[in-house]
Amino acid sequence: MIDAENVSPTPLKKETPDIEEIEERQLLPSFGGLRLLYVVYAALGLLLLATAAFIIFQPIQVLPRERLSPGFIFTNQDGETLNSEYFRGKLTLYNFTYTRCQPPDCEQLDDLMKDVQDRLDETEVYDIPVEFVTITFDPEYDTPEVLKAHAEALGADTSNWNFFTSDDPAQTKRVIGTGFQVYYNERGPGDFEFIPTLILVDGWGIVRGIYNDRVYPTDSDRILSHFNVVAKEATFSKGANSIGYEAAHLFCCYAD
Amino acid sequence: MKITKKTLVTIVIIAIVLFAGAYFLGVKLRPYSYHGRTIQSTDPPGDFTLITHDGQRMHLSDYEGKWVILYYGYTFCPDVCPTTMMQLGRMMPLLGKKAKNVQVFMISVDPERDTPERMKEYVTYFHPDFIGLVGTPEEVADAATPFGIYYKKKEVEGASGYLMDHTASVTILDPQGRVRLIWPYGVTAEEMAEDMKHLMR
Repeated sequence: MIDAENVSPTPLKKETPDIEEIEERQLLPSFGGLRLLYVVYAALGLLLLATAAFIIFQPIQVLPRERLSPGFIFTNQDGETLNSEYFRGKLTLYNFTYTRCQPPDCEQLDDLMKDVQDRLDETEVYDIPVEFVTITFDPEYDTPEVLKAHAEALGADTSNWNFFTSDDPAQTKRVIGTGFQVYYNERGPGDFEFIPTLILVDGWGIVRGIYNDRVYPTDSDRILSHFNVVAKEATFSKGANSIGYEAAHLFCCYAD
Repeated sequence: MKITKKTLVTIVIIAIVLFAGAYFLGVKLRPYSYHGRTIQSTDPPGDFTLITHDGQRMHLSDYEGKWVILYYGYTFCPDVCPTTMMQLGRMMPLLGKKAKNVQVFMISVDPERDTPERMKEYVTYFHPDFIGLVGTPEEVADAATPFGIYYKKKEVEGASGYLMDHTASVTILDPQGRVRLIWPYGVTAEEMAEDMKHLMR
């Protein structure tokens, strides 16, 4: 009897809490304290879901800001001197080759550039000027006259396509090799080994797309759609919209 | 209904935590817009070597661990360079304690006329910690081209000297030597300080 009475008090006390405690339990929710906490949890959950949805569905796609494109000064097919500042505020597609490189023995991307130039009206660039540039890494042979003949043979529209040469071989190497990071090497006189590459540079002089078979495969559809992606960002990434674009960069929502 | 002391304390604590959380979130999430163009460059544009205004040979890589600001100009520059250098000079005190993690370099694109002595006199006028850099034409080209900087001598009719035509932007490198931000010409010291503080958070 005495043993049983000694054991029972503790559970009994729990079942009958004092009035103050009851009041407290009821008071808290009615004051909104706990409910407010739920609201915060819900908001955080929503934010998390929204972020996840942004990353999964990628409502805004961008191209990475890879690196700076180099500064340069070159002579074009008409003997005119142009520098890198001329291309500020424009979308520019660069190509690196030499005129003695003739397919099929020598693979190069002149025809692809031509195709992109011909089909430019198929893509929306929001009135941002588009430029095409071919830089030769054989400046001794590729004089402005040679480049002019090459441009004509190719059927290039030279109103927005410059073929560049330089009388300073060191600058050519510095711009193409160090600046654009495009590999080329002179195997013998008039014979270069190189990785055919196109590079898309935005109006700030920032490399946005590299097209060789290592980064993005070379096809004109992709390049044309990339023109649109970069032009769209330059046009619409303003004010509140810029938050979305910066988020797209942060979460690497990159266009294919 | 009686509100106990314990209840009141709980409510006050929850309220404080909520407000603090909301404030912190707000500050963190507030979109910051830089006064230039940001880049998420993964690879540094590369090292270069030049001579400081004290005659010491330097490598850009020596300054890894600091935020490096590069400006390309020349001491005979009539307007653009002094304006930008003055803004950079005014930016430094605005950075407070963070200023010691920032190194500003002015690289001369006029190797013919800019001697180390001339550069020292010029850059330290804007701020005592600024360092002027000179080099051979090849060294300067190696330091400028990969950073997107173009420059060219421009003869001026009637004048005894010549001018240098050059890219007027300012380049900011992070402590790993990667390009993080470019300011176009015309950014004020206050805007620069704001951007730097935000980058250095």
